Amino acid sequence: MKLALSPATRTSAILIRSFAERERKSLYKRSILGWLWSLLGPLMAVAVYSLVFGVIYRAPPPVTANGRAEVFALYLFSGLVVWNVFTNIVTGAMRWMIDVSDLRKKTYFPTETAILGGAVATLLQSGLEAVVLITIMAVLVNISWTLVLLPLTLILTAGFGLGIGFAVAILNTRYRDIGHLVNIALSVTFFLVPIVYTSDMVPDRAYGLPVRRIMELNPLNAVIGVTRDAVYFLRTPSPGQLAAAAVWAAVSSVSGWVYFRHRSMEMSEEP
Amino acid sequence: MRTAPTDENRLTISVIDVSKRFRLEFDRPSSIKEAVLRFGRRDVSDFWALRDISLAIPRGSFFGIVGHNGSGKSTLLRLMAGIHRPTTGEIHTRGRLSALLELGSGFHTDLTGRENVFLNGAILGLNRRQMAAAMDEIVEFSGIGDQIDVPVKIYSSGMYMRLGFAVAVNVDPEILLIDEVIAVGDEDFQHKCMRHMDQLRARGTTIVVVSHNTDLVRRLSDTVGWLDHGRMLGLGDPDTIVDEYLDSVTDGGEMTLTDRDCSPPESI
Repeated sequence: MKLALSPATRTSAILIRSFAERERKSLYKRSILGWLWSLLGPLMAVAVYSLVFGVIYRAPPPVTANGRAEVFALYLFSGLVVWNVFTNIVTGAMRWMIDVSDLRKKTYFPTETAILGGAVATLLQSGLEAVVLITIMAVLVNISWTLVLLPLTLILTAGFGLGIGFAVAILNTRYRDIGHLVNIALSVTFFLVPIVYTSDMVPDRAYGLPVRRIMELNPLNAVIGVTRDAVYFLRTPSPGQLAAAAVWAAVSSVSGWVYFRHRSMEMSEEP
Repeated sequence: MRTAPTDENRLTISVIDVSKRFRLEFDRPSSIKEAVLRFGRRDVSDFWALRDISLAIPRGSFFGIVGHNGSGKSTLLRLMAGIHRPTTGEIHTRGRLSALLELGSGFHTDLTGRENVFLNGAILGLNRRQMAAAMDEIVEFSGIGDQIDVPVKIYSSGMYMRLGFAVAVNVDPEILLIDEVIAVGDEDFQHKCMRHMDQLRARGTTIVVVSHNTDLVRRLSDTVGWLDHGRMLGLGDPDTIVDEYLDSVTDGGEMTLTDRDCSPPESI
């Protein structure tokens, strides 16, 4: 039996799919390697960060599931997969919104479908990265049931990113400063979460401040922690962190959505 | 979902006490810095595009709207299409709504004609399979031929309009809103449009047309509304209302005409 959907939901679903396809096509239009670029980008990032932090700074990779600890690149990769979902959705949301703003002035459609469609395309792309990561882990290290948590943590990250993306997309249609501001904020945030370093390298206190505790408040810290446990250390993630990641994703996406719904009708009247 | 046909259910569009205000902001801040510097000292003026409009358009009828430039005709159509939200009052529409509000409305300039047809279909709630089924008919109707696969940004205004109209009428709409765009087409295409609108109407589609072509409005409409400075000055029999409207235009003489040219722009 087919699922009975209301016409509005059906239209939204069709639109989300159409925007997702458009995003996927437009990213790799007129490129020879096509979607392979979406893999080469992150892999190059892993290579560069491994070189700088693993080789030059000699950051010791934490001991992983097989008791060995020589794969700093995998430690990086497991964090970068999560980070990419977050940053691509937040910056993408602003672009997707601007892309459809002319269209939205001339015809009505639920504007959030453009952002949701873009997010779907982003998630599919990270799905690819996730497959590569899991394959390498399986070949070089080991596998564990905890690997199945990776899709879940990517979806939680997407939810958290969507909430912020909805808000900045609206603000950015009014003040284009927001786009620049967000890009700076993201490059700072990248170094505030343990992606290129490990949490235990962070001192408890510095300059009289409980640095580590403050950094642990970052919602991304929780979701990256869960992902690392599941994918790199191959152990059951701490329920506390998993719950924190889920709560943050829910709070962010719901409030971003409410704000977006409240303000998106005004967009058609922007000059 | 359908209930027994009562009077209420026969209405496809109901407009209840609708007013629309646009905030005209002169020299509007476009960066946070400007906004902060000018906080509290904003040059804002209100412009009421529509005042207290009420309409009830029954299923399968043809509604014509006349009025001079800036009288609020396009705003009313945009409100019906759901692009803007009324400042006060309510608008209800029932059924799949297809709107042709300006040249290339609903077209994304970077996409090809074919991709735009799919996008438009998606906006109307039709999936790729359903649109693929209608594609031949749309291409045929528009007379665009092979050009369907080139980006629409290189289309001529006639091609824009023809493809837009072809999509709008071939998706089996229950409500069709048209804003003066048919005038761009050549005689031949205009006749094709008229014939097609007749067919749609026979199938029960409700059509609302804004036009300066008073002959067209007179010939096709069941009811005509006359808008002037955002107010509904007349509503009813096409011949009577169109005559009143034309009288008001000629009565005023040249003075009025110049006056009208200064009225606020129609679409904001």
